Amino acid sequence: MACGCPPPFGDPAEVREGFLCPLCLKDLRAFQQLQAHYEEEHSGEDRAVRAQLRNLVQKAKRAKKKLLKQEDDRTDSGSQERYESFSYGGVDPYMWEPQEVGAMRSHLSDFKKHRAARIDHYVVEVNKLIIRLEKLTSFDRANTESAKIRAIEKSVVPWVNDQDVPFCPDCGSKFSIRNRRHHCRLCGSIMCKKCMELVSLPLASKLTSASKEALSSHTSPSSSPNSVHGSRRGSISSISSVSSVLDEKDDDRIRCCQHCKDTLLKREQQIDEREYTPEIVKLYEKLRLCMEKVDQKAPEYIKMAESLNAGETTYNLEHANDLRVEIQRVYEFIDALSKKILNLGLHEEPQPHPKTLQLQRMIRYSATLFVQEKLLGLMSLPTKDQYEELKKRRLHMAALEAHRRQEEKQKDSTSRSVAAVNGDASNLKKGTVRKSEGWLPTSSVSRQCEIADPLLQQIDNITSFIKQAKAANRLDEVRMLQENLRQLQDEYDQQQTLKAIELSKKQAEEEEMQREELQVLCEKEWEREHHKFMSQHSRTHSLDFREVKQHQHEVTKENQNLIAHGLDLDITQMKGNPSSETTAVQQLPAKDNFIFPVKPQNVPQHDKDQNRAACLNPFEDETDTPLSEEDPANPFAKDISPLISFSNAIVQSDKKEYNPFENEEDEQTNGASVSTSNPFEEDENPCQKSGGNSGNPFEEGSSTNPFEVEDGNEISEEEAIEEELLLQQIDNIKAYIFDAKHSGRMDEVEVLTENLKELKYTLAKQKEKSNC
Amino acid sequence: MNAVLAVKQYVAKMIEDSGPGMKVLLMDRETTGVVSMVYTQSEILQKEVYLFERIDSFNREPMKHLKAICFLRPTKENVEYLIQELRRPKYSIYFIYFSNVISKSDIKSLAEADEQEVVAEVQEFYGDYIAVNPHVFSLNLLGCCQGRNWDPAQLARTTQGLTALLLSLKKCPMIRYQLSSEPAKRLAECVKQVITKEYELFDFRRTEVPPLLLILDRSDDAITPLLNQWTYQAMVHELLGINNNRIDLSRVPGISKDLREVVLSAENDEFYANNMYLNFAEIGSNIKNLMEDFQKRKPKEQQKLESIADMKAFVENYPQFKKMSGTVSKHVTVVGELSRLVAERNLLEVSEVEQELACQNDHSSALQNVRRLLQNPKVTELDAARLVMLYALHYERHSSNSLPGLLTDLRNRGVSDKYRKLVSAVVEYGGKRVRGSDLFSPKDAVAITKQFLKGLKGVENVYTQHQPLLQETLDQLIKGKLKDSQFPYLGPNTLRDRPQDIIVFIIGGATYEEALAVYNLNRTNPGVRIVLGGTTIHNTKSFLEEVTAAGFRGRSTESSQAPPRPSSRR
Repeated sequence: MACGCPPPFGDPAEVREGFLCPLCLKDLRAFQQLQAHYEEEHSGEDRAVRAQLRNLVQKAKRAKKKLLKQEDDRTDSGSQERYESFSYGGVDPYMWEPQEVGAMRSHLSDFKKHRAARIDHYVVEVNKLIIRLEKLTSFDRANTESAKIRAIEKSVVPWVNDQDVPFCPDCGSKFSIRNRRHHCRLCGSIMCKKCMELVSLPLASKLTSASKEALSSHTSPSSSPNSVHGSRRGSISSISSVSSVLDEKDDDRIRCCQHCKDTLLKREQQIDEREYTPEIVKLYEKLRLCMEKVDQKAPEYIKMAESLNAGETTYNLEHANDLRVEIQRVYEFIDALSKKILNLGLHEEPQPHPKTLQLQRMIRYSATLFVQEKLLGLMSLPTKDQYEELKKRRLHMAALEAHRRQEEKQKDSTSRSVAAVNGDASNLKKGTVRKSEGWLPTSSVSRQCEIADPLLQQIDNITSFIKQAKAANRLDEVRMLQENLRQLQDEYDQQQTLKAIELSKKQAEEEEMQREELQVLCEKEWEREHHKFMSQHSRTHSLDFREVKQHQHEVTKENQNLIAHGLDLDITQMKGNPSSETTAVQQLPAKDNFIFPVKPQNVPQHDKDQNRAACLNPFEDETDTPLSEEDPANPFAKDISPLISFSNAIVQSDKKEYNPFENEEDEQTNGASVSTSNPFEEDENPCQKSGGNSGNPFEEGSSTNPFEVEDGNEISEEEAIEEELLLQQIDNIKAYIFDAKHSGRMDEVEVLTENLKELKYTLAKQKEKSNC
Repeated sequence: MNAVLAVKQYVAKMIEDSGPGMKVLLMDRETTGVVSMVYTQSEILQKEVYLFERIDSFNREPMKHLKAICFLRPTKENVEYLIQELRRPKYSIYFIYFSNVISKSDIKSLAEADEQEVVAEVQEFYGDYIAVNPHVFSLNLLGCCQGRNWDPAQLARTTQGLTALLLSLKKCPMIRYQLSSEPAKRLAECVKQVITKEYELFDFRRTEVPPLLLILDRSDDAITPLLNQWTYQAMVHELLGINNNRIDLSRVPGISKDLREVVLSAENDEFYANNMYLNFAEIGSNIKNLMEDFQKRKPKEQQKLESIADMKAFVENYPQFKKMSGTVSKHVTVVGELSRLVAERNLLEVSEVEQELACQNDHSSALQNVRRLLQNPKVTELDAARLVMLYALHYERHSSNSLPGLLTDLRNRGVSDKYRKLVSAVVEYGGKRVRGSDLFSPKDAVAITKQFLKGLKGVENVYTQHQPLLQETLDQLIKGKLKDSQFPYLGPNTLRDRPQDIIVFIIGGATYEEALAVYNLNRTNPGVRIVLGGTTIHNTKSFLEEVTAAGFRGRSTESSQAPPRPSSRR
């Protein structure tokens, strides 16, 4: 069921709405295709069922329209039109049907042909050199006379005649008594001393022994002929002599020309690369494994959570919890791994190449994106009590709906072919499956309760149909019904969204005003703030003398500061608003702002203990302080915003440097916004509290929407905050901290950390309370 | 027929074919533009591509644990760079994709350089154009002609770009071209040549009605690029300039650092996608809605810490909020700057007169209005010059033409010599002598009636009454009424049915006003799909550069003028 993820505005699905198959919800993009699809796929299915379903959907749509009309015009025209796609008969180029990949042409076989010719030549060259090297090093150089060495060397490769080469072929200098000729021991050519290179014995042994290894591995039948590296270099089968123990002390070296040395060095490099797996690769492989794991587990969990949140009993709550913990652990692992990658080699000398660092940053960045997208998509589970409640409510709703449904059916019984049957059925107390034509809503218990929203009725009706269909083992119909249900729920969610928007408008306006005030303060008073900050402290101290419990008071004070930090979050938000980025703000010296971060760091633990000991209720402090938000005595509230915009700008400009692509900050959070728990639903909390919201038809009797239920809980238990909820909060904030840290917004991190601490603190408090 | 999708699919396939593991994308200057138009960084990151490098950059470090995907134009320089790269490979394995047809000899030299056998793939993927919108593409070429003839290098590039588009969309079209334009004919022949030469590449599944390629010349309609625009995309380009979806806002007064350059891409900016074709007034109200939306989502300040529920609301709003805030600040800034410019340059008034010049035939009123605006100190040099240009183009042969008087006015106003010369240059570029179609006074009865009726009804919006000539041309083409005498087919075959898939290409550059016209045609004509392309996408400034680059520098109006200044041609 899709109830957990109502499409926020701009969900592409909304745009395509018109061409979804009503039965299987497949997106068909064009009307003709839809028709064709319909005829192909669904013509075999029971006509009556289809008719009924279609009817339901149409009804739902009508209901939606009716509701929308009741909305304030502005919201209606605004949010609807804006995201609507128009259609005049032609097709918007964005909606052109999908096309196959364009033409392409491969040159690989041609390329390979040319390369093979070339490679053979090259490989022969390399192998020749290595065989010679082998021979040159296969005897004990240290204990052999130089004349004998020379004889052996000459036997390996014929030396070019001195007379034939009057000039050095590499640098062109004339050979003379002073400028003597040197022979390359590997190819026999002549060069001058300047152009001469030397191959040390360890290098030689490395090259020759590697060749033998390659030989042994490649003569095995399983070796693949296609492997890219060094597959051909194994053809040194002529080597029989084993270059046994080489005397390490002997630093005698073999003379050779530049060309041979080059070839050998290249070879050496290849050997090195083949054997060496950099740390980053190992870590990265682990990272990918984790990601795959998440990709596997997350959908499973989401399915469970959705089902549980809907009050269904298909899955076990504890099992789901375990899975959640497991997935979260993987996320932590991903986080840790990517952090490790990010910091690879940072403390080494010399520093890694900037490109390496960039690579590490990008891996970390993409891991962050991944975690944000997926972790925030993990919806929360109901607590045990909630779950029980949900189950009850669900049963209740089903019954209720069934009842209403029956009444309704009686009313418009004339319009449908199955009406007669249903009408009969409605006389029965228990709904039973009658015929294949349709399912009856279950009506085990009927209660009097008005449900204003026709959509909800439909949803519940269908839910009960599904149950009946399941019982009757009509799996295909169950599937169809479920699809239908999903559609209905989506619409329902959309409605709620609109509602929520409407109601929070007022608050937004107030907020705007406040923001402006704050900004003015920010501009005018930043210079004085520091001073005031100081004076405030002295005032605190003077107060302290009056207090009996001096220490305790200080703690309370700190607590207030903490809250003030929390408040600063609001200001954090403003950075997106261009008007708040006044020049005055940007000029703020960062120094001032860095004063406060240090303070709260060591406070929390300290004050937690203290507060627990104290009998004062910290909650009261908390609720009081926000009122003093505008109080100039609290400098923190204003201090933070400049820092944010300041550092944020830096971060952004930094990024631009190393990136050819657009680097959109918002893209980064884009993924995160997929979060199944739609913020709009949450928006309802404040609205419902403040607005009274009598007109909202959804308020009472929600059935399938998990958020709805949460609302209910919060309203009823206002003050007592669920532990579970807190825990989830903590999770979420952790995720944000993670994000903020990554993008370098240390200020936000701080603010969030404060938030987190406070949450933890509240949690502790909560526990204490419940213990009492 | 979706150009953006075509390129996107190519890039996706490249990445997919290289398998799992860390990757680097190796590109040249042009392909960087091609890829960045269709993919955002975060999208491409999710496909394990972590680095983006230029093949010509020397600051690359060997990273043998990376796979390299090379997407390059098959130019001599690139092949040379690639040979160097393969001799000393920096990455473990190379997947090479050329954006166009590459010669056999280049393949051979590459193969010979690959001594370490690091190349795993060599393919041609025809993403050789800038996909601006699904139905718009550009080649980013400025100054494609010299006089009335092609610059040979630009002709070659244009042929490559156009054939690449055809290949990526899998179309083997019939070709029509504008008879009055020599460059159009040349390009048509070149494209045909490529199709004949690479016949096995163009061997696509036949459709009932073959696709059609129509090649036009900018000089046939010099009016459109001279007009001020009022739809979002066109307006942004006219007033601020769009360059590969990027907008440079650094000259905006008081701009914050992170908004110096913003990206407007319909692919991942929903607000832009929904508003790019709406006019300025509508944008204004939509921006307001966007702002309101944004504030709604903004976490509540006061209640923040009153209860944990509020905090929860904040936390859950946070990601959405961040995304919104980016979009909001971007569009608010852009629209704010647009309206500032509109006010500062008195554009509403200017545009009204421009539209009158372009669409109506009342000489005396037009002249009077132009004179009046030339006296207005708020009107910029550019706008003053463009009014005179429009006047000159429209009333070129009018009996009481008073162009000299207007030019004197311009001089008295202190408009620079450059602009005054451009007036005659533009007439030379797109004057009556050159035009194959009639821009101003329709001849056939239907069109005259249409215009008459339009006059009776009065115009809906004075600022957007102008319809580009392209609209009329394509309308006729769709209805099968486009005259063979003006737009002949290349080769003996002609199309009997009405065309369905149309690719129209404008030598000398298209405009966003035309992009909008094509967009609307696509939406109003079922079964018809039109893709518009140009050597570039013009605004007035770039169009004037194009005219200058083509060598039409105009005659100096005063005989006492100093000797001609050195050519600004490149």
